Amino acid sequence: MFRSLLRQRLRRDWLQLLLWILATVLMAYSGFAGVAQSYATHKDRVEVLAAVMANPVIMMFRGLPSGASEGQFLSFEILPWLTMLAALMSTFLAVRHTRGDEEAGRTELLAATPAGRALPTVATIVHGLAANVVLGVLVAFALAGSKLPAAGSWLTGAVSATTGIAFLGIGLIAAQLMRTSRGANSLTVWILVGTFLINGIGNVAGTPSDDLTRISSSGLVWLSPFGWAEQARPFDTDDAWPALLGLGFGLVLAVGSVALQSLRDIGEGFIPARPGRVFARPALSSPHALVWRLTNGAIIGWAVGGALTGILATKLSGLAGQISGQNPAVQQILDKIGKAGNLEETVVSVFFTMMGILAACAAVQILARARQEEAHGTAEIVLAQPVGRVRWLLDYLLVATIAIAIIVAATMLAAFAGLAGNEDASALAKVVTVVGLGQGLAACVFTALTALAFVLLPRGTIAIAWALVMLATVFGLFGPLFGLPEWTTRFSPFAVTPIISDGTTDLRGTWWLVIIVAVVATASLSLMRRRELRPAA
Amino acid sequence: MNTIISTRGLTKTYGRVHALDGLDLEVEAGQVHGFLGPNGAGKSTTIRILLGLARKSGGTASVFGLEPWGDAVQIHRRVAYVPGDVSVWPNLSGGEAIDFLARLRGTKTKDAAYRAERERLMTAFQFDPRKKGRAYSKGNRQKVALIAAFAVPADLYILDEPTSGLDPLMEVVFRDEVQRLRRSGATVLLSSHILSEVELLCDRVSIIREGKIVESGTLSELRHLTRTEVSFEAASADALAGIPEAHDGTVEEGRARFTVDSDSIPSVLPVLAQRAVTGLRIEPPSLEELFLRHYGDDLAALRAAEEDSSDAGAGTRASRRAAAKGTR
Repeated sequence: MFRSLLRQRLRRDWLQLLLWILATVLMAYSGFAGVAQSYATHKDRVEVLAAVMANPVIMMFRGLPSGASEGQFLSFEILPWLTMLAALMSTFLAVRHTRGDEEAGRTELLAATPAGRALPTVATIVHGLAANVVLGVLVAFALAGSKLPAAGSWLTGAVSATTGIAFLGIGLIAAQLMRTSRGANSLTVWILVGTFLINGIGNVAGTPSDDLTRISSSGLVWLSPFGWAEQARPFDTDDAWPALLGLGFGLVLAVGSVALQSLRDIGEGFIPARPGRVFARPALSSPHALVWRLTNGAIIGWAVGGALTGILATKLSGLAGQISGQNPAVQQILDKIGKAGNLEETVVSVFFTMMGILAACAAVQILARARQEEAHGTAEIVLAQPVGRVRWLLDYLLVATIAIAIIVAATMLAAFAGLAGNEDASALAKVVTVVGLGQGLAACVFTALTALAFVLLPRGTIAIAWALVMLATVFGLFGPLFGLPEWTTRFSPFAVTPIISDGTTDLRGTWWLVIIVAVVATASLSLMRRRELRPAA
Repeated sequence: MNTIISTRGLTKTYGRVHALDGLDLEVEAGQVHGFLGPNGAGKSTTIRILLGLARKSGGTASVFGLEPWGDAVQIHRRVAYVPGDVSVWPNLSGGEAIDFLARLRGTKTKDAAYRAERERLMTAFQFDPRKKGRAYSKGNRQKVALIAAFAVPADLYILDEPTSGLDPLMEVVFRDEVQRLRRSGATVLLSSHILSEVELLCDRVSIIREGKIVESGTLSELRHLTRTEVSFEAASADALAGIPEAHDGTVEEGRARFTVDSDSIPSVLPVLAQRAVTGLRIEPPSLEELFLRHYGDDLAALRAAEEDSSDAGAGTRASRRAAAKGTR
């Protein structure tokens, strides 16, 4: 019985897990290639580390510096992202098989069999542990295969896996607390982002060594699973015990989730549901009002993320401006991503690329909602009213575009606010405007492409759309860092938006983006005229 | 009379599967038309084509004289639809969903008439509008769709297995509502596999099998196609001798049974009166039997496969009746 529960999980997940694991392994592998190519000499790496130490805000989005050897530098570059991928894979896995199944009514079906209430959850725990072990082993192989020291390679794999397991536990507990999988997923993502930032702040608040290649973190990092992973310091002290902390934490939470489950009724959560409205608000009177109603919570979340990005963009550019003279190495890193002229312009461009990715994620989420509505059957009730097919899809496109506009506006306003007191405020305000609008345009490309996928390949909509965003992110944001050839980055809409270099505007691929958005959006709307409703069954 | 729904040779294929295979359906204005068939016979596919949610592969279809795929929006302005498997939005309350659907159909939800009708239906269906969609059971989701459909007047109501998930009490409320629609002169297409429901509510019935209409007519028209069963107390097989036009005669457990064409009942009665039979029972064919006329051989085949023996009497009425009882 247990084996068939486990088999069912594997069968449902294998492709998805394979993609997560491959992406993580690929990041480890290409991360090493990038380090070897871009920072070939010990001197290069020492310079970069020194530069980063001088600029705390960059360090928040990098790992813990432990030294300047190839392995140590690799940990500094990618360990937070490896552990982040493992963590995301694990929380989604945990919620999908617990609260997700419960919400869909499948848990009830199983709980009525001799499998009972606890066994499916135990199967999910074992399934999640196994996925993380495979991920860890493959990451270790990828690194050890790149001729890095075996101990550090295995430890890197191990901490990736144990961080994943810690978040498996967090996901399982969130699934017990919240009544919906959407609620559980957003709770875990907030925890993930929060602990990631806590770890970053803990590192920034630490003490640098005299040669500026190593930091002793402050005690704060011990509050974060990402901190436990980094304190193992692969390729440096190679401590295994902080990794065990993640493993222990994850297992305790997993056991706790089984205990919590036995305290509650199936279908219920610990956070009670509020009663709804008796009458609909006057605003809920058209299909696009419905789309807005279904997505506005998420849009606000993305806009808050955008505002944070915006304020970091200009605040950081101010800091970077102050040190740019002393640290050519910082400029070197940023140049690789931003391709802009002076350092401040580059910093703004890099952060707005991140905003472009946020906005694209928001747009994809909204368009994916159209497919979810169709699969769930609620699109059928709306389309049986006097609502045309084309207009119905157009409403999703419009709301996605408005969401992008809101996120861009929030980011730009926060960025302008961050410029207060900056000497170059007017020049940077121009950069913010041009780059911000350009990245908004890049996000629109994903709106249109998701709509096209929805019309042509409904069943694949969600997978295709997220895969496109992920590829564009890898090529556009990480590609230059990992030393991918330059022509590959041109496939990423985020990397061909207009930039400002020393005060002059370079439009780059702007018109191409406009043409692609127009053609793809028009094509998807006109193809929608001939498309039937395709429910899940 | 005015034709509301008309299809001719309607076909629909999904890959190699022929969901509809030349369907001819005719629904006149003011009718409550029963659309009968088991799951998978093509009822929902037909309805989806009539609503322009799916595209026909061949043949013609028209609703209010319009083409369902191209003029879907125009048709929908006059139609209320209850899907077979109702889904609602998990984060909208039932009340919100009902108001939203009413507004999509152009209703001002502040109007006293709408408010009163909504209130009346919610009371009749014992429906709590405050709960969020995700908390509703199947029956309650069904009520959302039913209240939304009935709260705003329409010319045509398309109801796809509307009582699935409703308890018997609510089924009665549903029937009352359909009677109300009939009195108001609306047209109803009621797809169902619950024969008693159709028998109670419908003026005309179309029976669908494997994507084709195999029988269509009023109940009394259809009744002529099958025989009425007559039974009385008797001890031996002699009791059946000499009765005109009797078919399938048997004597079992102290009762003699036979069937006659429904038109010939008057010629049988004097013979029975002469013999002064006791415990006389005359049962007109039920819809169930009409239905089993078309599906009986399916059932028989199923049972034969089950018992792994060929039942010689599979085509007779008695065995069909036994088969029907067995599956209840």
